[in-house]
This record gives sequence, structure tokens and C-alpha cells, in this order.
Amino acid sequence: MANQSALLANVFYALADPTRQAIVGMLGRGPASVSALAEPFAMALPSFMKHLSVLEKSGVIRSSKAGRVRTCELRPKALAHAEAWIAGQRAAWEARADRMSAFAERHHQEELDREPETRRRKR
Amino acid sequence: MSQKPVAASAETQDLVITRLVRAPRATLWRAWSDPEMLKEWWCPKPWTTEVRAFDMRPGGAFHTFMQGPDGGTSDNPGSFLEVVPQQRIVFSSLLLEGWRPATPWMPFTAVITMADEGQGTRYVATVMHPDKASRDRHEEMGFFDGWNTCIDQLEAFARQHPAAA
Repeated sequence: MANQSALLANVFYALADPTRQAIVGMLGRGPASVSALAEPFAMALPSFMKHLSVLEKSGVIRSSKAGRVRTCELRPKALAHAEAWIAGQRAAWEARADRMSAFAERHHQEELDREPETRRRKR
Repeated sequence: MSQKPVAASAETQDLVITRLVRAPRATLWRAWSDPEMLKEWWCPKPWTTEVRAFDMRPGGAFHTFMQGPDGGTSDNPGSFLEVVPQQRIVFSSLLLEGWRPATPWMPFTAVITMADEGQGTRYVATVMHPDKASRDRHEEMGFFDGWNTCIDQLEAFARQHPAAA
């Protein structure tokens, strides 16, 4: 179970970047060569390869080389899993609740700090 | 007015997220009901939230648009279904302004409640998703597109430890 959530965290991290999201989106239409994938991005190839490497290490994609052409494809099992889907939603809403709580607490504290008179009266 | 959300079952995959917040209910309400404040916490940094519509009444539009540092975007139109000041907010991606039906990439209805507890406020977010069958269909139809646009939220999961509640 711990392994599985570590795996999921890797997948989420891999997908937390818009470039990698776009790559996954493109591969959703089928396997593609590295050069075809890189084409729409105004990015140096080494930087682009780093993104592919993160995706591959997380298990989201796999690649194979035939001659001089490296082809990438999705490994759908890393993503199209009901548990991953709902875990992703949970993670998103948990993080949002954390941010809301932290914001409200900070805001409340700032109000207290701004109004020492009020605070003394309350005590 | 305040119906309980439909009871959770294994098939509906409801999420119930709760926090005990060390701030008064009025402060939580302001964080939620003032778009200038909402956008401060709605999505994880460095992403930013633009509140495109915020009409806080039943059938009123609730539309956020998020942008990431590298040009990634996430467009989330929806509407409020129920608003009870300082107590309860219900909103959905399945209905737009004026209850116009939508087919969102991420179908959900969320019920937010706030109640006094001790010195603070009990905050509960119940997020209801469609049953497994329609979710699977949704997945076939465009899982990756949907997934792509919700990733901004997952960033927080991957990079931050949850703050103590």
C-alpha cells in the first residue's frame, strides 16, 4: 500500500508540469516519435528529453528505439486506474482544504494583530 | 433547505474532507465568499486563479480559470446550487449559470459546510462524483484531457506536506 501511494505520488509529480501534461495528451492519441512530440515545443531537445525521462521513470510512458527513431507510448495502467482517479481527486481537495485553512488562520491572526484594542476587550 | 448529501456508497466514490480550522466561521466565510480572497487559496502556487464569474446565489455562475507558469490552463465553469451564509455552499460543474446543463471534463458536485467547534470552525467538503459506470465512460471519452487540466491541484500533493489542520 505504501509502495502504491509512492507510485501514485510519482505519477502526480510527473503530471504536475504543463509540458508533461501536453506530452501525455499527445500520446493519448497514439504512440509518437520523440521528434514528433518535441516539434510543437519551443524548447531545447535536452530539456525536452528531461521531461520524457521524468514521465518514463514514473511509469506513465515507455519508449523503445528502432534504428535512430525513439518512439514513446502511454502505459495506460499507470493512470487509467479507478484508484488513481479518485486518489487524484482526493489529493486535490485535501490540498485545497489545507490552503483554505491556512489562509483563514493567517487572515484571522492578521486581524487580531491589527486590532489589539478589540483583542484586549475580548479577554 | 439544508438537505444532507446523498449517502456515500462504494459506487459513488464520494470524498469527505474535513478540517478543524483555528479561525472563526465568519473568517472562513469571507475566505470563500470574497473572490479576491478565494483566488488566494483556490489553486496551488505558482498557479494563479482568475475568478471569471462569482454570483453567489442558487443558479449563479461560479467560474474559475487557472493559469500555470508555463502557459498551462484549467477552465472550470460551474454554478452555485445553494448558499446559506456562514453555513453551507453547494456548487457543481454539471450545471452552468441559470442551471444550464453542462458536460464538464470533471463532473462533480461539492457541498461545503462550516460549523462552530470549540474555539474554531469545523470545515467539511463533501465532493460527489458520478457513479462508477459513468465515470468509466468519462474515462474512455477523454480521461487524459480531463486529467491534464486537474493536475495543477495535484502539484500540491506531490510537493507539499499537508499543513497541520
